[in-house]
Amino acid sequence: MEKILRQEKLREWVDTLDDCEVYAPAFADSVWNFARVEAGTDIDLSHTNTIGSVKAFTFPQREVFFRFEKKDGVPVLTPTLPDPKPTVVFGVRPCDGRGMPRNDTVFNKEFEDPYYWARRNKLTLVGLACNQPHSPNCFCQSVGGSPHAEEGLDILMTDLGDRFHVKGVTAKGVEAMERGRDAFDAVSDADQTEVDKVHETSRSYPQRPIGDLDAISEALRESFDSPLWADMAQHCIGCGICTFLCPTCHCFDINDEVISPTTGEGERVRTWDNCQFPDFTMHTSGHNPRGDLGSRLRQRVNHKFLYFVENHKTQQCTGCGRCITECPVGIDIVAVLERVGQS
Amino acid sequence: MVNVEEIRDYAAGLLEKGEVKSVLGFRRGSASAFAEPCTITNVGEAASLVWDPTCLNNLALYLVKDRKQQAVSKTPDTRPVGIVAKGCDSRAIGVLLQENYFKREDVVVIGVSCEGTGVVDPRKLSAKLKGRTASRVTFAVQGSTSVAGGRTPGATDGADGINVSVYGDETETVIPAREVLADRCLECRAAAPALNDVVFGNTVEARDFNEPFHAAKEAERLSEDERWATWERHFDRCLRCFACRAVCPMCYCPECVVDSTTFVVTLGTSAEEKANRIRWCERSANTSESAVYHLTRAIHLAGRCIDCGECERVCPVNIPLRLLNTKLEKEAFEMFEYQAGHDIEQASLLSSFRDEDPNSFIR
Repeated sequence: MEKILRQEKLREWVDTLDDCEVYAPAFADSVWNFARVEAGTDIDLSHTNTIGSVKAFTFPQREVFFRFEKKDGVPVLTPTLPDPKPTVVFGVRPCDGRGMPRNDTVFNKEFEDPYYWARRNKLTLVGLACNQPHSPNCFCQSVGGSPHAEEGLDILMTDLGDRFHVKGVTAKGVEAMERGRDAFDAVSDADQTEVDKVHETSRSYPQRPIGDLDAISEALRESFDSPLWADMAQHCIGCGICTFLCPTCHCFDINDEVISPTTGEGERVRTWDNCQFPDFTMHTSGHNPRGDLGSRLRQRVNHKFLYFVENHKTQQCTGCGRCITECPVGIDIVAVLERVGQS
Repeated sequence: MVNVEEIRDYAAGLLEKGEVKSVLGFRRGSASAFAEPCTITNVGEAASLVWDPTCLNNLALYLVKDRKQQAVSKTPDTRPVGIVAKGCDSRAIGVLLQENYFKREDVVVIGVSCEGTGVVDPRKLSAKLKGRTASRVTFAVQGSTSVAGGRTPGATDGADGINVSVYGDETETVIPAREVLADRCLECRAAAPALNDVVFGNTVEARDFNEPFHAAKEAERLSEDERWATWERHFDRCLRCFACRAVCPMCYCPECVVDSTTFVVTLGTSAEEKANRIRWCERSANTSESAVYHLTRAIHLAGRCIDCGECERVCPVNIPLRLLNTKLEKEAFEMFEYQAGHDIEQASLLSSFRDEDPNSFIR
């Protein structure tokens, strides 16, 4: 389904989704981030990319697996499987959209993660094509994506100035469009020509090149013991910015959080974990097989461009560029791949 | 005005004469318009050093990293390290010296005065550009462009203007310095490094920005309820990426109280002991746990924070962390006339006592 939505009708459409939790980018505290849209308020789709990725909607930073307590000396477990309202997220950039099927694979391939899928099945992603790159660090086209890629999105919107071209990509997306059908107009030939032109132009902007991705995987395999890693991680501070902001990083930790030691009451929780933290691979013996920052940088890059490719036949990077832009010391995954590729 | 060629020549000289094993400085990076840290070890690399309002990092962090590496190395290289240091960075080195983290002869401080200006706050710049990316950020050069608001008499270059180009739109605009300079620079009390082996640039006393502790004083005007609501919101937003801790030269503890590794495990440690270990702070990024983390960190930096503002700069969600630390530095200054890192001969605040100190309960 393809429709035209005039800018002033956006709100009319959003208002028809009144039984859903609607999220859209908002600029607050000098950063763009997804925020809940209250009924009857406008949404602003002039955003660059959000600082946090869309992954948090299916893989929240803190997920309670179950509650536990002791009743009459007997441990009692209470399940806490999430049952969210249908959720619609507007303004998802195509790089984040492409992250979603990669996360789906991780949380489905060997074991279907009920917590992830309880959220995922209720989630509708409304994408917004990038008419031009927001940042010099965008590289979606270098990892098989595009500024108007539909993969992972339920709807793709394209900004045509005074109106949007809106395409329902999945049945879920078409359903969301059906609900607001009165807000939409038909697509004229002129509209179609214009949207094609906008997409074509969006692909023409120079992006940071990576080159042959198979060759990169091979170069990474051969560079495991290279002194380059220590050199490239020389100024790494070992924080978690790159992975926490990444739309595809999905490593987690599981802990029991005791609320009351006397009643034995508490929660088992899953929280985001991070391969850049020293305790990520710390053994109970105290030995750490990835004891230095070079080996941790190597893990991050290899996971995305080698191990994930071996396991799932695609890169675990969609070129959003957040890890580059937000790194406090300028560590740049594209430059890393370039150096490894040349070595 | 600072001539970057002089910094390069000096760094090259240190390396050539073998007085240092390396020089920590700034170079252009591939990731953004902002400079990135570099460690140069040979004379030829000195030409890559830069100096401009994008040299944000406090490189003293890497002196700490170097010490940590030496501690675990079988053949440590104990030769001195040269370091390009702004006023605030030199105070960080001062605190590390006061705390005997290393010795004065272990470091050659290549001081650079920020003169009448400072460094740009990327978030302020981003807010001005509504999230768009700057492709070039330089000091406005006197006479080349008209500067909004006019020039302050006697100000050095950059004092009232920063040139900014935006990615995808290469026209250059001049933004008045006070609108994009980091808060710490607006409140800076010593823009020229007092602790140094050489200083490039002039000492500019009258900077005409904000009084010291301006932002902390503004924040104090809110009621207790308003302040709690503000910080509750900020702690709730925290991702616990620990970038603030990781970037801080004073956060050098080998084991941090909030990490789950702070528990000694031996062959004799039982499963129950492991399960019942004390955890001061859970992994969950929620309001209470993040409050514990940030307030613990703030207290551990009391009388030690030199206001380089790195914690606030690196925060990906822009939590105004510097306010917590400057509030405590304001207390230290008002109660004990103490300024961290200003005098390396002085005992550190928490390890010293004077008869005239306030709070008679301690006597």
